[in-house]
Amino acid sequence: MMLRQAAKKALGLTSRQSTPWSVGISRSYHENVIDHYDNPRNVGSFDKNDPSIGTGLVGAPACGDVMKLQIKVDEKTGQIVDARFKTFGCGSAIASSSVATEWVKGKAMEEVLTIKNTEIAKHLSLPPVKLHCSMLAEDAIKAAVKDYKEKRLKTNGVGESSQA
Amino acid sequence: MNKTKKLVASISTLLTRRRISHPSSSSLRCNPLATIASNSQTDLNPVKPLAVSIRRLQFSGRAFSSESSDKRSSSVCCWNCGFSSEKAAFLFCDSCRSIQPVDDSVDYFQIFGLEKKYELEGGSLEGKYKDWQKKLHPDLVHNKSQKERDYAADQSAKVTEACRTLTKRLSRAMYKMKLNGKNINEEETVTDPTLLMEMMELREAIAEADDSKELNQIQSQVQENLKQWSDSFADNFESQRFDEAVKCIRRMTYYEKACEEIVKKL
Repeated sequence: MMLRQAAKKALGLTSRQSTPWSVGISRSYHENVIDHYDNPRNVGSFDKNDPSIGTGLVGAPACGDVMKLQIKVDEKTGQIVDARFKTFGCGSAIASSSVATEWVKGKAMEEVLTIKNTEIAKHLSLPPVKLHCSMLAEDAIKAAVKDYKEKRLKTNGVGESSQA
Repeated sequence: MNKTKKLVASISTLLTRRRISHPSSSSLRCNPLATIASNSQTDLNPVKPLAVSIRRLQFSGRAFSSESSDKRSSSVCCWNCGFSSEKAAFLFCDSCRSIQPVDDSVDYFQIFGLEKKYELEGGSLEGKYKDWQKKLHPDLVHNKSQKERDYAADQSAKVTEACRTLTKRLSRAMYKMKLNGKNINEEETVTDPTLLMEMMELREAIAEADDSKELNQIQSQVQENLKQWSDSFADNFESQRFDEAVKCIRRMTYYEKACEEIVKKL
């Protein structure tokens, strides 16, 4: 909620209306971006200490954006059952991470690692200057999976030593 | 007559200097001028043709200034009157009051006559900026040639950019790194967990802050952090610890972004 309000203020209302005189020079956001913006899916947090949660925290050095993407994994099947994100950044960054959380749901971890930033960028019709936002989302997915796997290794290691 | 002699004398000295320092470079440019110089020596009468042909060749006297931008071993010449200057940043000829073309080897510190240190003294920047614009601003050259109007546009833009870059600590730091050939890779994703956690919490605090008092508090805290990391950058840079310096710049970028957010909210 906070994010949306803050983000809305930041973006202003110009993204909403494609004013008649700007038709020739359309620099407005793509409708997919606006959609994710107004109806953000999966905003929020999981408890990062929960063993079934993988947290990916990434940042873009150029623009000072921060993106957090969390996945909830079914331990038995290795499938991602739920995802949440929290992003501080421009509309494109928020939309990219929102799309990422949508796309990872219901997929296996190995599969989500193949999600490419170019696909996200294409889906949102991101202009070249915003391509790094989609790259950030791809990195966030990978970081979340990596975090989950590392956690599993640690808990497994502890489990084995306690058994022995 | 005397004027022509002076002009010819200065040109020939420049040519000889150029031949000594850069025998290979811009030999094409050398030749036509050499012919003119030799012609003029034999025939001193036509003052106008000489001046006109020099102007046509657009001799900017920059050929032998390609050595270190720190010290100009040779002087540069005004394209208009041939006045040679020893100044490091020759943007404007005081002799004939014409604006010079942009020289890429002149860096921002030289424009304001500052040492290439990261720390800047006082508020001298603003004053010097205004002084430059009094001479270079495009509004002052409406009556001059198209060429000079173009020079004015380019020069005043460069001076504005220089002032803007040097005023803010972060951009100054990045510029210093660039001058030293250490380009910061801005595409690389940051994954340092401690840094990102801190920034996440900071941004959350800003988003959740309700009143301007709280925001101002956060802002002063961030400004303090900025100053601290800026000093750290200076220290690392001087000691040539460039990796650490880059980390300082990254932090400063995040703090600057946070400040922007606060300002937007206020």
